[in-house]
Order: sequence, then structure tokens, then C-alpha cells
Amino acid sequence: MISRRGALIAGGTGAAVVAGGGAAYLVATGDKPEPAAPASVDARGKLLWRNWSGVQHAYPAARLAPKDEGELAQALKTGQAPIRPVGAGHSFTALAPTDGTLVSLDAMSGIVGWEGDQAIVRTGTRLGALGPALAEQGRALPNLPDINKQSLGGALSTATHGSGQTLQAMHGDVMALRLVTPSGQVIDADARKNPEIFQAARVSLGALGVITQVRLRTGANRRLRRHVWLEPFDEALAKADARWAQHRNFEFFAVPFTGLAVNVSHDETDEPALARGPDQDVAFLQALRGLRNLLGFATPLRKAAGRALLSTAKPEIAVDEGWKLLSTERPVRFNEMEFHLPVENQLKALEEVVATLEKERPDVFFPIEVRRIAGDDAWLSPFQGGARGSVAVHAYYRDDFSFLYPLIEPIFRRYDGRPHWGKLHTLNGGQLAALYPRWKDFLAVRQDLDPEGRMLNPYLKGLFGVGA
Amino acid sequence: MKRALVPVAAALLLAACGPKTPPPPTAEQALALRPADARLASLYETSCHACHAVPGTGAPLVHDRAAWDGRYKRGEPVLLDHAIQGFNAMPATGQCATCTPDDFRALIRFMAGREDSAK
Repeated sequence: MISRRGALIAGGTGAAVVAGGGAAYLVATGDKPEPAAPASVDARGKLLWRNWSGVQHAYPAARLAPKDEGELAQALKTGQAPIRPVGAGHSFTALAPTDGTLVSLDAMSGIVGWEGDQAIVRTGTRLGALGPALAEQGRALPNLPDINKQSLGGALSTATHGSGQTLQAMHGDVMALRLVTPSGQVIDADARKNPEIFQAARVSLGALGVITQVRLRTGANRRLRRHVWLEPFDEALAKADARWAQHRNFEFFAVPFTGLAVNVSHDETDEPALARGPDQDVAFLQALRGLRNLLGFATPLRKAAGRALLSTAKPEIAVDEGWKLLSTERPVRFNEMEFHLPVENQLKALEEVVATLEKERPDVFFPIEVRRIAGDDAWLSPFQGGARGSVAVHAYYRDDFSFLYPLIEPIFRRYDGRPHWGKLHTLNGGQLAALYPRWKDFLAVRQDLDPEGRMLNPYLKGLFGVGA
Repeated sequence: MKRALVPVAAALLLAACGPKTPPPPTAEQALALRPADARLASLYETSCHACHAVPGTGAPLVHDRAAWDGRYKRGEPVLLDHAIQGFNAMPATGQCATCTPDDFRALIRFMAGREDSAK
């Protein structure tokens, strides 16, 4: 995400000055210190687990990395509960923390077979490794999220998504799956065989057991033309719907306190490859952080300086295979809230979010990501029932993010948003039941597969409204 | 003129006598470096390589002694804590859920160009 923004400033002399020499001064004037870290080892001698952003942590009694389904089944049957599967720890919600058993599928990764153009992939595979592995066969996932560090299992289980009006979230391409349940049973499911389990499990937060492999629909590994350009926020808003209709992949970022937006499109092309330049993520964010630190006390001044600084940016064009362009590194950590809204509400909600941040939270400097995703029919998919538009608000990992709950979440809820399962929100039980027509059906499948709640940590018990 | 050259010559002499810091790897060399142990190489590839093998990410580059030596002088326990807890841009454990403290020590030594420090 960030590099999509950052690429814009590659040609921006002014931005480069701030991002380079000036940044050291600017960022020194208002930054918070590194947040205090939990101890590396607890009183029992158990090693710390912490999520990517640092807001979740636990000291699991056991950490297991089974090598096959037999080992996994044994671990699920006999391991100390709560048993929680973990991938790359990119969720901001408390899906993974456990004092019991943490299960990683890092030892169960790779493509293990093909059925026509559908790849059978073990879910410990990291997305960053899946792209080149599929490309060796001339295939690609139709879409990718903008971070590729996640495990496939983690990404699917939280309804992780990219952006494109006709493109579904990743779980939309799951044609079949294999689930190992807490009782050690191995269940194969697809739209015909065990269809209820299939629809429940495709997005299931690791609450039904552990999905070990999926059969994924793939597309031809096409070359994409990437275009990143800047324009006034009002113009981006006015043209966004047309751009979602026009481009294979389209998203944009509202840059608060600048009046600007960054557009990012990807379209299939036969043009020759054109290398993407060096990543400018950190420089771009340093520039925005510097503006915040120096001029955060005076929004009009900050906006004027931001526009002057960023408007010199030149558009970026790159041509390459999709898996090389759609996902990027994200070296700057943050915390995030993202809701998926009915498309007719998306841009109205975005306008309110930007106005609210600019009025109430001058400490925010991260751009706001705006995407659109096609609908699907997985029971707990935020995109169940039709296309949704997502809006994501980020806070630098050293900064306060608690404002997201009282200030931003009510806007998303007023516009009928559904929360991203891996990102910050406060919804649970009845609130979620009102948003998901198959909520009770999911809970019934969960109860059937895990009657003792071995897969439920305190967070999931609260989320599902299951007694502690 | 001669007086001006004396300190320069002395500095050159001292530099020649002191321990030499090996040059940092090229970008291509950094991308290709892997621990000799296959399991460690796998952990490195999944959890360290994306940042520590790519110049400009902000992470000290693998085998770049100039970048690592100052950090290494603070002691392995400090680096181990940073690896486990996360520090600045680095996420906790490099998001390796099953790495042990010994794994982290070995990975730190490899990246710092200090494999010879392993006992």
C-alpha cells in the first residue's frame, strides 16, 4: 500500500528533500518513543508471541509446527486449549493469542498438486512465496492483498482481499478445502461435498479447526500495467466509481491534511516489462510524518505545505507480472481499522472519516485506503451478498489508536459496515448476527465441530457470544 | 607540508594495522546469502530475508559488518530481546511463531557476519 503512495514522490524534488535531509529534523520534533515491550519470557519461562503491530501478545504454553495432517490431528486432540492457529501474525484483533497451544503451519507449505488450472496449496504457504510458485506454471491468483507476508491460511480465514470491482476476496477462489477438526477428524469439503462446512469454513477465523490445504482457482499469469498518480481528493472522489468500472484493479488513498488523493490502477497489458523503481514507502511516510510533527498544530498551514510538497510528484508507471506489482513490502508498522461498506455508502463514509480526522485528530498522518471488492457467498465473508467498498484508517504503531473506536467505528457502523475480521473493531455477538444472515448457521457448525470450544480463546468466545 | 602529512600517514598506518571491516555485500550478494544449515535457511527465508537482504529497508543488511558491529557490541541478549519483542520497524520475532531463542541467536549471528561466535 505504502509503496503505491510512495512511488509518487520518486520524481518529487520537494518531497525528496523533506524525506531525506529535512526528515531527520522534522521527525525529531513530535514523535512518541518506542512503546514498552512485554518481557521476552514470562514467569513460567514461556516465550513471548506478539503480533506484527505489537498490540497483541501471549505466552503460549506450547508452540507446535506439525509436518503433516496426522501430527496436526494429534495436536488438536491432545494439545492444551485454547488451541490457536497462527500465520504471520498480521491480524490486529486477538485472533491468535493463547496461553495454551499455538499452532503454526510453516512446515506445511507449498503447492502439492493441480486439478486442471486449480492449484492445491497447503495453507502454511506465505503469499509472497505463492506468487512465484504459481508463476512457474504460468498461473497467478486473480488478486492479491497489498501485503504478501501472510500465510495463505491466515489470509483466507480473515477474508483478506485486494481491490477490483469484479475481483473477489481471496477466499472467493477457494474451490475446495481440507479441515482438521479439534477431534482430529479430517474433512474434505467443497460446494457439493459437506457444503455447509465448506461455506462456514472458507472464512472461519481458525475457529472450526485448522484448514490444511485448499484448491485454488487461478488465472493466467498476465502482465499488468501499474499506474500511480496524484490528484485533488475531490476529483478522486468524483471519478472513483468510473475508475472501478474501468480498471481491473483500482484503489485510491485519501491523504488527510493535504486535500490530495493517490490513485493506483492495474490493467492487463502486452506492453514490454518496465521495471518498478526503488521503493519509496519510508520516504513518503517520513514526509507526511514530518509535516505532522512540524505543522500539526495548524491544519491550514499543514495542508498548504502538504499540497506544495506532494504536488510536484510525477506519476509512476510500471509493467510486470501481477504478483510482483499487486503486493508490496510494508516496512513501517501501524494499527488499522477497516470496514466493508455497501458500495453506495462507501464514499460518503470516507468523506466523513476524512473530515472527522482533520477536525479531531491532527496526530494522524497515514493515508486512508479505499478499495472495492466483488461479492461472494461464504457465510462469514464481509462481502457475502454483494460487492462492498472498504475504507481503512491507519495509525502509526507508536501513536495512539484508541480514537478509532469512539471516533471512526461509529461512522462505519452508521453506514452499515462490516468489520474486517483481522482489523480493529469492537463488534460481537448480536451486533454481528444483525450483519450476517448466516451467523447462526455458522455458530451451529462451530458447535458441532468443536463442542468443547477447544479452538476458542477469550476473544473468540466474546466475538461469538459463547459462554466463557 | 611535511608536518601536515604526518597525521595522515599515522592514520593510514593505524588503519592498516587495525582489524579490517569486510566490505558490505553487493545487493545481489545480499539477496543470495543463506545460512548453511537448511532449517535455519528456511527460517531466514521466511522471516528475515525480505528486510535484511534488501538494501534500503532500514534493517541492517545481512553480512554488513559496518551496519551490524555497533549493534553487536551491545551484546547478544539485547539483540535477542529486540528480535523477540520487536524493535522499531522490526516486528516481533520477524513473525516466526515457532523460532526458539537458539534459532534467533543463530540467525542474528549469521546476519551479523558472526557465525564464528557460535559455540
